[in-house]
Amino acid sequence: MPKFKPHRAGVRIDMTPLVDVAFLLLTFFMLTTQFKPDEYVEVTLPASHADFKLPESNVMTICIAEKATPIGNDSTHIWMGLDSQILRQRIFSNYASMYGPTYYIKPTLYPVKKSELGNYVLQARMANPKMITVIKGDRNADYGYAEDVMDVLQKTQVTRFSLVTELAAPGQPAQ
Amino acid sequence: MAGGGDVAAPREHKGKGKKRRKGRRLGTRIDMTPLVDVAFLLLTFFMFTTSMSRPQTMEINLPPDANVKVEVAESNLLTLRVNDKGEIFYSFGIESPKKIDQKDIRAFLRDKASTNPKLIVLLKVDRMGKYNMLVDMIDELNQDGVTRFSIAPLLDADKAMIAKVS
Repeated sequence: MPKFKPHRAGVRIDMTPLVDVAFLLLTFFMLTTQFKPDEYVEVTLPASHADFKLPESNVMTICIAEKATPIGNDSTHIWMGLDSQILRQRIFSNYASMYGPTYYIKPTLYPVKKSELGNYVLQARMANPKMITVIKGDRNADYGYAEDVMDVLQKTQVTRFSLVTELAAPGQPAQ
Repeated sequence: MAGGGDVAAPREHKGKGKKRRKGRRLGTRIDMTPLVDVAFLLLTFFMFTTSMSRPQTMEINLPPDANVKVEVAESNLLTLRVNDKGEIFYSFGIESPKKIDQKDIRAFLRDKASTNPKLIVLLKVDRMGKYNMLVDMIDELNQDGVTRFSIAPLLDADKAMIAKVS
């Protein structure tokens, strides 16, 4: 079938500025992105409608896992982490000698016995008074462990803390 | 930005250009489309990962000392007890608890919060219950305009009271 071909005018768009801008934004986002640290504990967050964002720095995270983790001769559901690597290594510096060579590799979260949690919380607060405490509990974890953690926090004068949740769809029951 | 083009433009033949014989330039036009494709792909990836990775938090304040007694009028105190199965029981003051369905709790709390602005809710969750129950209850309280609530352990006496009703 014969086709009538009109003469196409050569439209060449200079893409250079576009590429410039794209790469500028790309580098910006690449540099500002903070990748999720390796999760040592699997925590499925509960959902809520709270819209207060988790702060980026000066955060002390207390995780409550669904499953117990062995520590020494004991086991625990409570994990503790700090966003500052230096502080984390200083506070948990005795872990390698106490609980064996696994802790020579510095994890981001350390399992903590209930009886020692208060001590570590105090140390962290002393090192950085601006520390914000955050409880990150698994939705299927027993509430008893959360109660223990809140009890410890109250005893160590941490009266203001946050619970980390996922955002539930507005209007929906958080289930 | 407009000045950028001038800088990037090839120099007129000066210096080096004079010595070198002007060879026939091959038409080197690079098709930038795949480059742009990849750049935008990465760009969108990073844009999405940055904005989505912040989790929400729920703020809670505890009284500084557990031993400080706060006097609360009996009529203003609503105790919500949640047992290990997730069933909710409410009671005003010291009256015996009544069971309330999960789906009725919102209307109930909204009604109570609007009629009594001085309402204080005491939330008691069973230790054997799930952490999710606590978060759900706090979320419900926050949404229904109950600004003053506190969390207390569910004691054996509370369990006995609930067991009698259910």
